[in-house]
Amino acid sequence: MKLTELIQKLNLSVRSAKTHLDREVTGGYASDLLSDVLANSEEGNLWITLQIHQNIVGVASMKDLAGIILVNNREPEPETLEKAELEKLPIMVTEMPTFELVGKLYSLGIVGTK
Amino acid sequence: MILKDIQKILEAEVIVGDDLLGEDITIACGCDLMSDVLSFVKPGALLLTGLINPQVVRTAEMADLRAICFVRGKRPAQETIELAQSKSIPLLTTPLLLFESCGRLHREGLSGCSENKKKIK
Amino acid sequence: MTPDNKISRIQELVYEIRIGEVMQSDVITISPQTHMSELRKILREKRISGAPVMDGDEMVGIISIEDFIKWLADREHDCPISEKMSKDVQTLYADEPLTQAVNKFERFGFGRFAVIDRQSRRLLGIITKGDIVEGLLKKLEIDHYKEEEEIYCRRVEHFFEDILADKVVLLFQYDVAGHDFKRAGEGASRLKASLKRLGLDPQIVRRVAIATYEAEMNLVIYTDGGQIRARVEPHEIFVKVADSGPGIPDIQKVLQPGYSTAPEWVRNLGFGAGMGLNNIFKCASKMELKSVVGKGTQLYIRIDTKDGAMSETN
Repeated sequence: MKLTELIQKLNLSVRSAKTHLDREVTGGYASDLLSDVLANSEEGNLWITLQIHQNIVGVASMKDLAGIILVNNREPEPETLEKAELEKLPIMVTEMPTFELVGKLYSLGIVGTK
Repeated sequence: MILKDIQKILEAEVIVGDDLLGEDITIACGCDLMSDVLSFVKPGALLLTGLINPQVVRTAEMADLRAICFVRGKRPAQETIELAQSKSIPLLTTPLLLFESCGRLHREGLSGCSENKKKIK
Repeated sequence: MTPDNKISRIQELVYEIRIGEVMQSDVITISPQTHMSELRKILREKRISGAPVMDGDEMVGIISIEDFIKWLADREHDCPISEKMSKDVQTLYADEPLTQAVNKFERFGFGRFAVIDRQSRRLLGIITKGDIVEGLLKKLEIDHYKEEEEIYCRRVEHFFEDILADKVVLLFQYDVAGHDFKRAGEGASRLKASLKRLGLDPQIVRRVAIATYEAEMNLVIYTDGGQIRARVEPHEIFVKVADSGPGIPDIQKVLQPGYSTAPEWVRNLGFGAGMGLNNIFKCASKMELKSVVGKGTQLYIRIDTKDGAMSETN
């Protein structure tokens, strides 16, 4: 499924890289531990997290993730947004907590990595 | 659902709390930041996390959570297990990742902590 | 309990307790072909005074030490026990109350009864008068223990009501060691347990526990240690968390959600994401933070006990 479709179906607000939402999402990865995401996420994954620090952009670009969704109404720090624009990495936000958002992604057919 | 159902759905192993598998659970959260658990998770919830230090059990104790399930096959050290035992907090471990765990439990009817109890079976 | 109501409690118990709960379930059975001369050895080795006689799955009688003594006294020849056992097998159901067993013991004068399942009629166990007495004593002991515990809890729960004074204040102090991540939270844990015991509203206890725990984590992560002091009054719980350094240079900044100076190892443990003070603020009815660099920090948390869950969002 394409990122644009998910944004629309789950009513996500896009905060960065608004012109780069065409990418195909290969799966989902939920974690608030950067080292875990570095080690276990896969290319094209959509990352669900509470972390708003600019380091998340570095991790996401290194693993070539499709984008980041910040949960629980978290807003990215200004430095995070700047970096994300630079890296053309979409960051989206939602009021849903991780459990609920993942539940909805799962029901739309987004699977976790193995 | 009861903890025993959760154990089956997540193909999990019980580390502590075999006698507490009949506990009823209707809400869950997946989170690795303990302050967030303390601030938004409701009493009686199941915590799914990739962290295994003793403070995860302390957090559950303070916030009156019902059970903890570690994801990614993580297994805590003895001191964490003992703490959980003394506080009667069941510990489970599943080989599944957090995403898959949340997905399955949500599909089977557990709610998140912001959802109203709209789909209790 | 007075002696009188102890007796009436026993009368209740013989109706409450089921035979299946007090019977011995690992039954030693004897085959009908066993000889009387072998019986003494079996009874002595297994330390039993009688046993059901089983022909395959079927119980055909009960043999007891009384039968053995009678056989000895009559100086009869050795024979299979099937000739000397009592064939009038009286049984009890496992789901019957103890009073049934008491009646049957009185009526038949036997030393033991076989206990069977009502549906399958399978042998489940054996019951003697000794088992009944033991079962009753155990239950009475549990009752007694529960009663004592209940009195203890009630006494503590009504603590504030029991004290006759114009003002009652309880003070608790917990010392917190700095940088000891494993033991962090012990203070908050002990405070929580104490407040629970005082019978305070669980929502209030939870708020105090969460706020104190976050403050304790700050002591552990950023300081060389300090003290938590909780002042408990009927209308309010006041927690003061103090340390003697290093102090906070910019208080406004640390109060911003998400602002953190936590080192990486702390973040990897799930803390230090800059939400701690925000959490404390959410739990408190009133919160105040004072700090002098090089001298130390004091955090004051007030939680109004009439507040219930009001100021907490969850």
